[in-house]
Order: sequence, then C-alpha cells, then structure tokens
Amino acid sequence: MKVLKIEEIVQGILDGNRRAVSRGISVVENDYDTAAARRIIREIFPHTGHAQIVGITGPPGIGKSTMIGNLSATLSKKGFRISVVAIDASSPFSGGSLLGNRIRMQESLSKYGVYMRSLANRGLNGGLSRSVWDTVKILDASGSDYIIVETVGAGQADLDIVNLADTVIVVLGPGLGDEIQAIKAGIMEIGHVFVINKMDRQGAFIAMKDIEETLAMSPKGEWKPPVIGVNSLNGEGYEAFIEKIQEHRSFVKSHSDLTMRKFRTELQRTILEELRRRFESDISHFLSDNEEIKQLVRDKIDPYSAAEKLVKKIA
Amino acid sequence: MDPGKNQSLFKDKPIKILLAKPGIDGHDRGILVLAKAFRDAGMEVIYVGLLPTPEEVVDTAINEDVDVVALSLLNGAHMTVFKKVADLMREKGVRDIAIVGGGTIPDADKPKLEKLGITGNYGPGTPIAEIINHITERAAEIRKLKATGE
Repeated sequence: MKVLKIEEIVQGILDGNRRAVSRGISVVENDYDTAAARRIIREIFPHTGHAQIVGITGPPGIGKSTMIGNLSATLSKKGFRISVVAIDASSPFSGGSLLGNRIRMQESLSKYGVYMRSLANRGLNGGLSRSVWDTVKILDASGSDYIIVETVGAGQADLDIVNLADTVIVVLGPGLGDEIQAIKAGIMEIGHVFVINKMDRQGAFIAMKDIEETLAMSPKGEWKPPVIGVNSLNGEGYEAFIEKIQEHRSFVKSHSDLTMRKFRTELQRTILEELRRRFESDISHFLSDNEEIKQLVRDKIDPYSAAEKLVKKIA
Repeated sequence: MDPGKNQSLFKDKPIKILLAKPGIDGHDRGILVLAKAFRDAGMEVIYVGLLPTPEEVVDTAINEDVDVVALSLLNGAHMTVFKKVADLMREKGVRDIAIVGGGTIPDADKPKLEKLGITGNYGPGTPIAEIINHITERAAEIRKLKATGE
C-alpha cells in the first residue's frame, strides 16, 4: 500500500477502514489548522450523527479505564460497534506523555476488535485534548454505534466533557469524601449517570447514599441522573448501567434542543479559535519588544486600557 | 521549561512511539526506563504491557498510528518474534511505521534484523541519548514519508 492521500483517507473513514481512520485522526491532531484537516472534517461531516458519545470522567485511579474495558466488551457482545478515545496528560515540562490507558483494556480490545485511540491533551486544560472533537467526528463517520471518551483523570473543574458527550458518566467510589464534597459545584453537576465503582469495598453503599442525597437536592430537570453501583472485577451491575446509558440515548434523541445546544457550544468554541488564529500574528506583534510596549510601561498604562488601545488597531 | 508552555496549546507534533515486548519475556525494567526517558524527551509513549502477541503489537501500532514501534526482548527470541512483527506489517501494507529493536541481541543477528528493516538493536549499557537520537532520526524519515510519499 502506498502512503494514504486525503481522498483515500476520507473514503477509508466512510468505509470503516482502520488505517484510514487512524491516519485521519493523526491529521486532525497534528495538522489541525491545515487545509487537509479541514477537508477531511468537511467531507465526513454529513455522515456523522449516528453514534452516541459517552464521556467517562472521574478522579484518577477510580477505575475509568477498566470500566471502559468492561463496557466495550459488554456492548460489543450485544452487537454494537464500539470505539474508544482515551486522553492522558502531557508533561508541561517536556511536552511528552505516557499514554497508559490502553493497558487496562487491551484484553477486550483484542477480543472484540474494539478500535481504541490514545490522545495526549497537549496542554489543553479541562480534561480533553483539542483534537478530540474532530476525532469523535471521524469515529462517528466510520460507523461506530458508541464512542466512549475517557477524560484525563479529572479534578472537580475539568468539565469540558459535558460539551462533547451526549451522555456523561461520572465515576466515583468509596472513600472519596462526605456529603459536603458531594454538594460542591463542578463535577457533580455534569453527570447524566453516576456510577459508584468498587462496590466490593467498604463504604461503597455510604458513597452511593451520599450521591443520591445530593442529587435529590439538585434542581429537578427532565432527566433524573441515576446512581448505579458496579463491581468491575466481576461485572456486577453492568447490565443496569448499560440500560441507563441506552435510556439516556433515547432521551437525547427525543430532545432536539440538546443537539442544538451542543452544536452552538462547538460553534462558539470554533469561532473563538478561528479569531485567535487569525489575530495570532497581531497579538505576538503587540507583545514583541517594540517601542510601543515600552511606552506603555513608561506611561504606567494599566493592562485593560493598553489592550483596548491595541485591539482597536486590528478592528 | 519554557515559560507559559502549559498555559498555551503545544504547537509541536510530538513523536508517537509504541513500546512492546512481544513474546514470553517478563524483563520489563529496561523498557520502563526507556518509556520514561522517551516521555521526558517530549515523545508521546504507549506501552502495551507484558506479553502482547505480534498481532496485537501491529494492530495497536496501526490503530494508534504511531511513527515508531520499539521492540524489546531479552529472551533470545528476537529472530522469531521481531521478524513476525515486521512480516505482519509488510502483509498489511504498512511501510510508514518504523521498527526499532533492543535487548540482548548478539552482534551476529544485528545485520539480519537490519535487513528486515529493524534498526538500532541496542544492547544493555547503551547511553539513552544514543537511543533517543536514533529514534528521532527514524521518526523524521517516517514523517517525511507520510507527508510526501517518498
């Protein structure tokens, strides 16, 4: 096989060819603002919209990767096509990364032919990577029924997943804190399904109770987030878990405003990025070592006024 | 560390490398040291754990679209298993992923591995910088191949 051309990548993605899917993801990851990356997304976009994007988030070490291994195995056995995207942190010092999520799910990946891709966050805060939005589009167009996205082991404020996923699974476990922890803002507000992993451990039922009580106090939306206990070692609770994921899928399908809101958020993000890209050279020009910036320092101009003055020049 | 590097998005395209010990070999100290060294050299590193089959290594390399696959064996099976990985790559028509090797490899075997396209083949005691240099070179070749087809 020769080296893949863009039209071969596009066709291959639509045919569900693994190599084309992989190379397509590399293009949108490494060359995101090139014509090639935009062309791939433009041409596959009409074929997206089938897959349910399931985001899995929660603190590090709670068992997200193991859970995805079980989830993808159970869903594959039901005849669904599963793709997995797992994101790990890049080092802020070297830019390198150790993408270690695969090791926990390798068995189900090989056994059921699940496609799995590891991404490094490359400095993006919020639990995702910049390329993940385009990556799920490619996996969607390639014929996946479910795309499972694992966030970087998240803290309370890494909430970008809510803008990407149709269904957000928040994974928690025993021993993470009391009900005060559970009423804090952030991660407790974004889940559509809450899962308590490690149900075999002491304190698991108390954790479940804490989460249920917190959710009972939350404002009542149309969707009431359920709390499910699972044991990833023996697969206990996974059937109920999957039922809830599918229930939420029909809920999303019957509420077109949710899809609209997701599109708006993504468009907003893309517009901001486009503006940033367009004015990047202007901005770095303002910040360069020029006479104007020295004058601003000498005149003791505050940053807000200085920025206003400089931005006027572009517009 | 460049100031503010973690605040803005990275602009560079890190080398993506898959580390694997295909075959029955549990001696993973070396490969773990390398995994960390490669990470610190700015690469995106995937380690598939112990005992993957050559088929799993090749599938993973394709699905992750890595630039380089680095194989390590200390059990003497390199002529069988490394070859199997190279053969599978060729069967699947993949020529834009580089394969490098390492472990306890006798000098007599090195030219044979080179002929299969498996380069490096470093043994114990090799300075890590030498290995990183070699991988950087191979990755650059591969990136050029992907971009231009040559």
